[in-house]
Amino acid sequence: MLKTTLKSGIAALALLAAAPAAMADDLIIGLRAGPDSIDPHWSTLGSQAEALRHVFDTLVDVDEKLQLKPGLAVSWEVIDDTTWEFKMREGVKFHDGSDFTAEDVKFSIERIPEVTGPMPMTLYTKYVDSVEVVDDLTLRVKTKGMAPSLPNDFTRLFVVSSDTGMEARNEQFNSGEMAIGTGPFTFVSWQPKGDLVVEKFDGYWGDAPAWDKVTRREIPDDAARVAALKSGQVDLINYVPATDYISMKNDDSLETFVSDSVYILNVAPVVKDVLPQPIIVNGKALDVNPLQDLRVRKAMDLAINRDVLVNVVLEGLGTPANQLMPEGFFGYSSEIPAPVYDIEQAKALLTEAGYPDGFEIDFTCTNNRVPGDAVVCEALAQMWSRLGLKVNAQALNGTVFFPAAQREEYTMTMSAWGTLTGEAAYTYGALVHTKDEEKGFGNFNRAGYSNPEFDKVFGEGSQTLDPDARKKLYEKASFIAMEDRALIPTVILQSVWAAKAGKLDFVPRIDQETRAYAITPE
Amino acid sequence: MFGYLVGRLSQAVVVVFVMSVIVFVGVYAIGNPIDVMIDPGATAEIRENLIRQYGLDQPLWRQYFTFIANVFQGDLGNSMVYNIPVTSLVFSRLPATLELVMVSVFIASVIGIPAGLYAGYKPNSIAAKLIMALSVLGFSVPTFWIGMLLIMGFAVELGWLPSGGRGAVGDFLWFKTSLATSDGWAHVIMPAINLSLFKMGLLIRLTRAGMVEAMGAEYVRFARAQGLPDREIVFSHILRNISIPVVTVFGLELGSTLAFAVVTETVFNWPGVGKLIIDSILQLDRPVMVSYLVMVVVLFVFINLTVDLIYARLDPRVRLKGGS
Repeated sequence: MLKTTLKSGIAALALLAAAPAAMADDLIIGLRAGPDSIDPHWSTLGSQAEALRHVFDTLVDVDEKLQLKPGLAVSWEVIDDTTWEFKMREGVKFHDGSDFTAEDVKFSIERIPEVTGPMPMTLYTKYVDSVEVVDDLTLRVKTKGMAPSLPNDFTRLFVVSSDTGMEARNEQFNSGEMAIGTGPFTFVSWQPKGDLVVEKFDGYWGDAPAWDKVTRREIPDDAARVAALKSGQVDLINYVPATDYISMKNDDSLETFVSDSVYILNVAPVVKDVLPQPIIVNGKALDVNPLQDLRVRKAMDLAINRDVLVNVVLEGLGTPANQLMPEGFFGYSSEIPAPVYDIEQAKALLTEAGYPDGFEIDFTCTNNRVPGDAVVCEALAQMWSRLGLKVNAQALNGTVFFPAAQREEYTMTMSAWGTLTGEAAYTYGALVHTKDEEKGFGNFNRAGYSNPEFDKVFGEGSQTLDPDARKKLYEKASFIAMEDRALIPTVILQSVWAAKAGKLDFVPRIDQETRAYAITPE
Repeated sequence: MFGYLVGRLSQAVVVVFVMSVIVFVGVYAIGNPIDVMIDPGATAEIRENLIRQYGLDQPLWRQYFTFIANVFQGDLGNSMVYNIPVTSLVFSRLPATLELVMVSVFIASVIGIPAGLYAGYKPNSIAAKLIMALSVLGFSVPTFWIGMLLIMGFAVELGWLPSGGRGAVGDFLWFKTSLATSDGWAHVIMPAINLSLFKMGLLIRLTRAGMVEAMGAEYVRFARAQGLPDREIVFSHILRNISIPVVTVFGLELGSTLAFAVVTETVFNWPGVGKLIIDSILQLDRPVMVSYLVMVVVLFVFINLTVDLIYARLDPRVRLKGGS
């Protein structure tokens, strides 16, 4: 009796669950992270920008390799050392039917400092001194000093209508009242940590998206996201965990997409005179810092077997890295030799530097920032122990790691850095340049690294408006920094998407964004 | 009675106060929330401005008193991450957790208590032994693992139930709840069962222990000698006598399930408060942490109070006295 009731109960539930099947033109995406707000000027968070791109357009756009392409601006040029001119696209409409003009861009730039939150978008307007509307389709931006990277900064400049008014805050955007952009989709609804639902905008200026309705569902748990795809609740998921990748690749009902990411795991050896955590030889703390010796840094680099990191530790989802940015980025140097693993030479260098028996060192990493950070951390410690070092590896939660790293409490760290802008100034300026608060360089140079030769070449680059000449200088700067092992890059992480077989097709992006309007039905 | 209530409520105020101090000191000891959140490309100037804007450059005691002053004006503050009032953030997700917990507690009691009664009534039967063995599994096998098994079985392999998320929301009286729709029930049933297993195991063991003890008690023997049928003895006499420990544990479990359903919520992607609080901790979103924990404290006090009132109802020997 009980059994039959149970059975029929489950059967009834099963029928109910098979509720109206999604339309063929609908797309449901399961994502690891979503936005924190619908206000596009609230936060610099990557998942925020990724989501809001569906509703709002940026002034400048980027292609799959993060190189600049026209967005709402069709072209941009330098007028003089401190002035940029942007030409706007004609005939662009907001979702409420009003026309897009240069005035809206000016308003958006001026709105950012008023409303931005603890992940401030002022980052992207920091060079802006004043904005002048020449005519409906022409905008001039006066910069504070020379700003060659202004178009790069404006790849995150979302444009809202000047009718929005300075009073509107997150709540007005979240409710949809002010969520009016020029993007390929119109806003329907959003819940914090829940679903973002958008519908196709018929008046979009670009190629019409292939989907009538797109649901971007936040499923932070890896296993739950995979289950949602396998059970057919979603059509596509991002950040497939490495452990599931192999079985998914062999599953005929699923299709996988793999791409390099912008994230590279870098080791940062502190080269200051006094170390926060002492390095120990024979039970005694050294009063010199061995990491200041280039031979020691080189030895540590040579002792890293990147092939093992990629193929064994990361289950194939990585690429060996020899510099801080992936190939094809603005300022990537092709002169830097491919990384090699040579434990004998590494040992010889260490002996030459005066540490034939190695030393004991603390090594601290993140364990939840990017896939694989904790396992790579442990693997590195083992590789260095072959070199004769005693490495006390510790992988910490980002919540603990970052504030302590900011206070410079660690002797050697490893964390991921992503060149989110696709060009060298962002990465080398923050990580390698001598700390200089006035110029805004070296904010994340926690290693205390300082190389006048690098600073000179890099500084020259940051003051060169001609893109080709600037590129050459940045390439040279990258070369100098990597020859000197300012940081030791290990692997470029790869990211994986998975979809129902035969449902859709897209080109994976290096910035890991999942853009519904770039996805086509198969 | 009135004095008793006042006493309990003033205790609650003290606990809330102490707890908010602990959270403030705790977050302060970990570090600056701005350093966790800020974009790597931010300049030192932007960082300094932010720290000033959020008052994080102030000494801890001053930050705390600003917070307390706002609370007395009824303002628990805005979330640093979402920039919407903390109360509306938490209340937007609370109904989902309440639904899940209510259903799971219901399942746990309608299965757990009768099963426990039976296992205590016929302790040597095979069924009783089976029930006891399963109850051990209930609280010793990790929740997330059973959750994954349920998903793999019923959602991925059989395709009967959705793998996660909350179903469509409908109207029930003046509430909006997913329990008013069939799609909602299809979504809630698996996570609710998953969440109920631990409590079910606990209830089975507690009820059984009470039952076995009561079966040998004098009043049961007298009742039997009087010729009362077993059914009446069990349901009107024993059940009433063993209710006190069951109600106590039930109350505490209800509270902790509400507050910490996070594992089940994560595995089933259930949009409840548990996930919100974990994310807030990871991002050091202090206003959300403080308000959430305050609510949890209030909840526990309220549940304990209810349990005490139920005691008095169940056991005439219990008298409620002011403040004790």
